[in-house]
Amino acid sequence: MTVPVRRAPLRLRLGLFALASILLLSALLILFPPDGLERAPWAQFIGRFHLLTVHFPIALILLVPVLEWAGRDARFSYLRSSVDFLWPLAILSVLAAATLGWCLARSGGYSGRLVTQHMWGGVSLAAACSLCWMLRGYFHGPRVAYPLALLATVGLVSWTGYRGGQLSQGENHLTEHMPVPLRKLIGLSSGSTPLPRSNPAYFYGAHVEPIFITHCDSCHGPDKQKGRLRLDTYESLMRGGKDGLVIKAGNAKGSELLRRVSLSPSDDDAMPPQGKRPLAANEIKLLELWIAAGASPTLPANAIKGAPTNEAPVVAEVAFPEIDPAAVTKSRAPLAQQVIQLKQRFPGVLDYESRGSAYLALDASALGPKFGDDDLAALKPLSDQIVTADLSRTAITDRSAPLLAAMKHARVVRLTETKITDATVSTLAGMDQLESLNLYGTAVTPACLKVVESLPKLRHLYAGATKIPPDTSVSDALKSKLVF
Amino acid sequence: MADSANGATRQSSAMPAGTSHREERFALLQAQTRRHFLRSFTAGVGSMFLGTLGSPFVSTVRAAERGVDGSPRLEFTRDPSQPLSVLPPQFAARAKRIIYLHMAGAPSQLELFDYKPDLTRLDGQQCPASFLVGKRFAFISGVPKLLGAQYPFHQAGKSGQWISDRLPHLEKHIDDLCLIKSMRTDQFNHAPAQLLVQTGNARLGYPSMGSWVIYGLGTENQNLPGFIVLVSGGNQPDGGKQLWGSGFLPSVYQGVQCRSHGEPVLYLENPSDVSRPLRRRMLDAVDEINRQTYAEFGNPETVTRIAQYEMAFRMQMDATDAMDIHKEPAAVLAAYGANPAESSFANNCVVARRLAERGVRFIQLYHWGWDDHGTSAKDSLNIGFADRCRETDQPIAALLTDLKERGMLEDTLVVWGGEFGRTSMRENRNGQVMQFIGRDHNPGAFTIWMAGGGIKPGMSYGETDAMGYEIVKDPVEVRDLHATMLYALGFDHHKLNYSFQGLEQKLTSVKPARVVAEVLA
Repeated sequence: MTVPVRRAPLRLRLGLFALASILLLSALLILFPPDGLERAPWAQFIGRFHLLTVHFPIALILLVPVLEWAGRDARFSYLRSSVDFLWPLAILSVLAAATLGWCLARSGGYSGRLVTQHMWGGVSLAAACSLCWMLRGYFHGPRVAYPLALLATVGLVSWTGYRGGQLSQGENHLTEHMPVPLRKLIGLSSGSTPLPRSNPAYFYGAHVEPIFITHCDSCHGPDKQKGRLRLDTYESLMRGGKDGLVIKAGNAKGSELLRRVSLSPSDDDAMPPQGKRPLAANEIKLLELWIAAGASPTLPANAIKGAPTNEAPVVAEVAFPEIDPAAVTKSRAPLAQQVIQLKQRFPGVLDYESRGSAYLALDASALGPKFGDDDLAALKPLSDQIVTADLSRTAITDRSAPLLAAMKHARVVRLTETKITDATVSTLAGMDQLESLNLYGTAVTPACLKVVESLPKLRHLYAGATKIPPDTSVSDALKSKLVF
Repeated sequence: MADSANGATRQSSAMPAGTSHREERFALLQAQTRRHFLRSFTAGVGSMFLGTLGSPFVSTVRAAERGVDGSPRLEFTRDPSQPLSVLPPQFAARAKRIIYLHMAGAPSQLELFDYKPDLTRLDGQQCPASFLVGKRFAFISGVPKLLGAQYPFHQAGKSGQWISDRLPHLEKHIDDLCLIKSMRTDQFNHAPAQLLVQTGNARLGYPSMGSWVIYGLGTENQNLPGFIVLVSGGNQPDGGKQLWGSGFLPSVYQGVQCRSHGEPVLYLENPSDVSRPLRRRMLDAVDEINRQTYAEFGNPETVTRIAQYEMAFRMQMDATDAMDIHKEPAAVLAAYGANPAESSFANNCVVARRLAERGVRFIQLYHWGWDDHGTSAKDSLNIGFADRCRETDQPIAALLTDLKERGMLEDTLVVWGGEFGRTSMRENRNGQVMQFIGRDHNPGAFTIWMAGGGIKPGMSYGETDAMGYEIVKDPVEVRDLHATMLYALGFDHHKLNYSFQGLEQKLTSVKPARVVAEVLA
């Protein structure tokens, strides 16, 4: 007679599966704990899903007491019956989330007290949920057993979740922005900035420690010690990490920490890694000086001469002017036609000062004697727009003086080796934008200097090879501008 | 589908109005590089084929109006018959032309500008191990000895800058110079280092600074080349003619090496039985053949070639006049120390000033012989180096004086420098004590100076350590120097670019470069 083989009930199978998983997970935690090393990117990728999946069991576990409480009333008794479905779901999802969490911790370079507590909290939570489920369904012991276990489980999930929050957001993430009355009630200090831990009378406490707290604490601090390295206390700084010493007293070049923070941000080994603000040049300099001076915790704060201050230095930068083509065309529009015509008539002589400007630069020196007074007269309609006028070695004479004077916006005027005389220079009295006037090789005399003195923006007057002697007596202001 | 073909066509430059269909086709074919092919491999092959047919599916050749960062691209297209015509700079320029004085071989900054009394105090002592760890040297082996400055230093000028006694003439201009003592390079041998300084890349095939400048700005005097190079010192620099080559830019932008003694360009003059009118008729015939070639193939380089012949014809008159230093008064020649009968750096400086007056955009002078390893008298710090200083000091000072006097220094950027620095240790080739004194190559720190248009005079930028070996403050990479020079000429160095091999190539190459704002006036 055959005995029908019955499959074990679903509950038993689930229970055994949960037990086995809990044991396996515990084994993983013991044998492969998070040790501060980073591993394969694929493992880190999978591990990151812990942050998503973990919220599901949290919601389930917190829902159970709500349903139990609400289901006391006969009208809502159906709520209680659904709890029996929630517990196995919770157990399975806790196991899944815990496994992903182990993956994240093991491959993401986590280490330290927080992550260990959080992980064991998660595994214990799986066991606690199984216990609750069993107490509710199977064991008919004291009636108070299940509620107590439920309470403990809710406490456990809250504590584990809090640890998880601390891992993500920082140890004081709940109290950081707490209103002051509430802080006082709980008994926390009313300041939100962390107090300096070391004596600021020493160089370490005053200059070095703040650098590490600002830039390094989040990954090499009390909560997380990537690479098994802590940088927030002097002892742990000098102890080093999994790769050995990071500071070699007296040897700045041989100190790995200094090497890493001095690398260019795009380098793989650069610290802080991509995404975090790198150390400023003066901060690196401070570290270097301190290490070279022996890396002592008791070195007085002002002992090192020439140490830069902790403020970030101002880095001079240039801004490239933006060119808006529409605006440029618009500003050139009034005289555009004439400019085109005159450019054709005098190729290579007239052009815009720059691509973004409506002002013109005039340079007739290449044409030499072929360019004369009449040619300059043809450019009269444009004189207001001319900012640079180079008429060196051309055939212009004093007849062009009014045309030159009409260039009200001219900054640079060059009349090198032309036939002009003092008469021309005296008409330039109204040129209040003129910065540079070149009269080299002309027949001007000291008589023209009076006019020149009145030019407000003039910086250089080139008077070499003229009738003005180098030792001519002039005011001090003009003396600094004369170049012979 | 049309888009990927447009991706290929967009890279080519805009055509001036009135270009023929053949020219468009030629440009389109040139613009389709391997990069484009691979990028649009899956969907684009078919559309590229359609593009070459000039089918109505593909729009005509059109320039990319926006650069990579979304801002408007600058166009450098010109009429092919006037490839060197003037274009305005991007924004108001401080300098219109550059005179670059390259001291080939790497002059020793520790004997010229970088005053290191601590090094002199430790002269003769063993070099500390930390200087040698992780470094490659050209010739130093084992543990060399530290070498102090071989010449005394003193402070000069109102700015009180330190300078050695080797440059008595340049000293008078110390208040016009901006010294950059923290230049840095990553090449430790001459040819790649010179290529890096001159072309922005340590490998051959890239356009030189002067090529970029005349590509971007053109030149004012169409009767002379826009980029002229003069070489002295007895040898060509190690980097060779590529140092003034045009790389992938059209060949019209290459530097023209002229001689400062005798004919400026060999074979520029007509042979004795060829008169100028005869030469003109010959050129007309060649022009006609070239025009027929152009009508058939549409290669704009042909038109440029015609323009080059025409320029050579005009140069016959103007170049000889520009390079003829006999025309200068004796007083000027004496100020430079120039002797028209022989070629020398001093002669080249006179020519440089004359060329600057005549509207040449980029003038480059090379002086060879600064590589003072100490292997012989000629390249030792106590003999050869002193000779080089004597050969260059007076002419450079006279050049600066001349430019300043004529009011040209305010719009000319003068740059002096080598390709890397020299070590604080005495060279000990094969571990032996050498008969003459020299230093090995040090790419970690060298000194250059700039003067003129847009540069703040009378200052020093950057610092090396107490031994003068490494930079401790404000390092300046070679590409930062290039960016600064282009800024003085009125360009954002990102915008002065040229499409080649699917990339917007520029002088400062691909690594980020910074304009050194602290040295700008």
